[in-house]
Amino acid sequence: MAALEDPRPAVNGAAPHVSKKPKLSFITESELRDEFAHHQPGIARLNNGSFGSCPASIIAAQRRWQFRFLRQPDDFFFNQLQPQIIQSRAVIKDLINADHVDEVAIVDNATTAAAIVLQHVGWAFAEGRFQKGDAVVMLHCAFQAVKKSIEAYVTRAGGSVIVVNLPFPVNSNEEIIAEFRKGLARGKANGKKVRLAIIDHITSMPCVVIPARELVRICREEGVERVFVDAAHAIGNIHVDVKDIGADFYVSNLHKWFFCPPSVAFLYCRKSPVSPDLHHPVVSHEYGNGLAIESAWIGTRDYSSQLVIPEVLEFTRRFEGGLEGIRNRNHDKAVEMAQMLAKAWGTNLGSPPEMCPSMAMIGLPSKLGVLTDDDALKLRSHLRDHFLVEVPIHCEVPRDGETRAMDADGCITGYVRISHQVYNTLDEYIRLRDAIIQLAQNGVTWKTIQS
Amino acid sequence: MACPITATANSNSKSKQTLISPSEIQSEFSHHDPTVARVNNGSFGCCPASIIAAQHRHQLLFLRQPDHFYYNTLKPSILQTRLLIQNLINADHVDEVSIVDNATTAAAIVLQHAARAFTSSAFQPGDAVILLHYAYGAVKKSVHAYISRTGGHVIEVHLPFPVKSSSEIVSEFEKALRLGKANGRKIRLAIIDHITSMPCVIIPIIELVKMCRDEGVDRIFVDGAHAIGNVEIDVKSIGADFYTSNMHKWLFCPPSAAFLYCKMSDELSDLHHPVVSHEYGNGLAMESSWTGTRDNSAQLVLPEVMEFLNRFEGGLQGIMTRNHENVVEMAQMLVEAWGTELGAPPELCSSMAMVGMPACLGIKSGSDGLRLRKHLRECFKVEVPIYYREPLEGEVDPITGYARISHQVYNVAGDYCRLRDAVNTLVKEGLTCALLLK
Repeated sequence: MAALEDPRPAVNGAAPHVSKKPKLSFITESELRDEFAHHQPGIARLNNGSFGSCPASIIAAQRRWQFRFLRQPDDFFFNQLQPQIIQSRAVIKDLINADHVDEVAIVDNATTAAAIVLQHVGWAFAEGRFQKGDAVVMLHCAFQAVKKSIEAYVTRAGGSVIVVNLPFPVNSNEEIIAEFRKGLARGKANGKKVRLAIIDHITSMPCVVIPARELVRICREEGVERVFVDAAHAIGNIHVDVKDIGADFYVSNLHKWFFCPPSVAFLYCRKSPVSPDLHHPVVSHEYGNGLAIESAWIGTRDYSSQLVIPEVLEFTRRFEGGLEGIRNRNHDKAVEMAQMLAKAWGTNLGSPPEMCPSMAMIGLPSKLGVLTDDDALKLRSHLRDHFLVEVPIHCEVPRDGETRAMDADGCITGYVRISHQVYNTLDEYIRLRDAIIQLAQNGVTWKTIQS
Repeated sequence: MACPITATANSNSKSKQTLISPSEIQSEFSHHDPTVARVNNGSFGCCPASIIAAQHRHQLLFLRQPDHFYYNTLKPSILQTRLLIQNLINADHVDEVSIVDNATTAAAIVLQHAARAFTSSAFQPGDAVILLHYAYGAVKKSVHAYISRTGGHVIEVHLPFPVKSSSEIVSEFEKALRLGKANGRKIRLAIIDHITSMPCVIIPIIELVKMCRDEGVDRIFVDGAHAIGNVEIDVKSIGADFYTSNMHKWLFCPPSAAFLYCKMSDELSDLHHPVVSHEYGNGLAMESSWTGTRDNSAQLVLPEVMEFLNRFEGGLQGIMTRNHENVVEMAQMLVEAWGTELGAPPELCSSMAMVGMPACLGIKSGSDGLRLRKHLRECFKVEVPIYYREPLEGEVDPITGYARISHQVYNVAGDYCRLRDAVNTLVKEGLTCALLLK
């Protein structure tokens, strides 16, 4: 089991693009531990997906930027901030294969990006460009904050919402594509005009890589006016090529899988002759100068998390294969751990390995009786408080007529979402494995134990 | 020059031993560029080293175990901040206090709310929003983005500057309000600065709010961006519907944190943070406490700030009083040295003062003011914002430029001497803003 013990590549590991750097300059195991020494020891931290992680050297870089502002804020504001943000935007543009740096705005997080795109939709309804009843499409498992944003800006303004259900557990991209086609067609019945589709690149809960490129194409074929890809989890997790995906808007958080401190995200807006007029909702001096420039000054703030992006790129180059190497190894490890857990628990993976990013969904033993969202939250707290294991839990109660995932004792309704990031080690997944085995031995007793 | 840290009349009961010493103060601000005469606390504020350290501790708490922080620590910590603010500003309920990033965000919240009223036809096209001509530039843009765009009419009230007394301000505002209401126009929202930014003057806010109520203005929003830690704030006696202030300007918080006070009313439930997240519909305070994954640490250090304030004689009140007295003293020193005048009498100066600059410098536009500010920064390492005032018809040798000096606890008399000497040097060399263009 030697391969399982070391989550980092073996000396003769097969990373697809071997870096030209000599091996001496790669980060060592003990340097890596130091970089994440501020993580709480003793916790099996299997949830990089929710809040991400930030290495110590990036925190230090961020502090240097903070101090530059505090030292002489006027000079920083007039002379340093804007050029530095442009540098960050340029790094992102290259990472995601955008054409122009103008297309890249930096915002706090995907939630803010959603508000920007949806407020624009709200204006279109208010100003008569969209008619009452015109629709916005979303996946049923869209992130809850995005759903609320749709309620606030679309439903409230008279728009209607088409919800496309995606299957879970899922076996192939084809299943998702078929469901999406059906859902979109159903929604468009009655001649509804579809103004915007919001498609996750990687759904949050349950976590699955969506064939975004194909879904964007289907949207275009079906006359959807604009497509917004919510790729909150994507950058540093899977390959991102915004031109290839072809959406009008694309957002990803940099503090989840790209080692930035909380919080920073980019919102890509494809340039076209009919580029819509997006604005940051917090209006300041730069109003009207384009979203990217508006977003670079929304009043006095701490912009330091947005300024460390060049340093983060350097950090990823300390790993073999750079960011791509990190992604590939994370994926391989997440899948390996997922298969280990499914085997130990007698359950299933929520999706095949090729649809897992650096995260995976693994069925929980049915004996645990995770039957509601409340159960899921309770079990998560229970694992945190009694086992020092941090892992989010999803409840998927099968709808009528759908095939059920089963284990020896019944229907699988609960899933854990494990993440693998560079700081994770094998023993953390073993602790999760053993905690669940222990709990399952006592059926639903865990529900009555006080947290 | 005498040491500017004068003893306050209201000595608190602490023994002198626990009070912060001048060298401890310098140490708390040793991260400031020591070569710069930093007389512009008003723009970006300041943060003592012990508060920065507290902020870093909060940041690390999140990074250490973010899930636990999110589920168990964040909300109670923000509630603590809100309770402290409620107390500081004399609000009735903690529900009335939301923590946001800055006054700019608060303005967006209030104005987006008004925009919804226009688009839903609760307000009619042509209904008005009234604000000061000296309103902060970002607020004006926000008014344009949310009010003009939805059919609202914008009335700007011109106030005199230089100004001799608050009654001048009151009568100008009254005139503009009457004019605005002419032909039965409905005024839906008044936006009034508590302390205008440029030029910097304390506005008689209690009188103006009362006037607005008497004249049937629907809602009043006081932009007190500069106020907290600078002047006394009692939201109940001010009587506005909305009140915002930045905590990172004069209350020693790191960038950035502000509060938005919203008086209890039926409408309170329809105020929303524009960045919509899980807490949508649970009240503005809840919505503002989670706008997606963020670094909330600047919002969590108020308890430590309270401790910091108590290291000063008279606490916050003592700091405010001494800052005001010192800035007035320094302002008078400067006008004497330059042969100019103050833009406003001492009672309308907060911890900031507008000091006329020698007319021979030839400040003829806002750009001139910016250029001169840059020149002072680069060649003299003096940081001070400069306001351009358009001269009136027929004025002889008008003062068109005013330096807005600030005094905060880290300032020393030498900072203002350097400003004085820098300007005197420029005058002696015959420098004009026109020459700076070359």
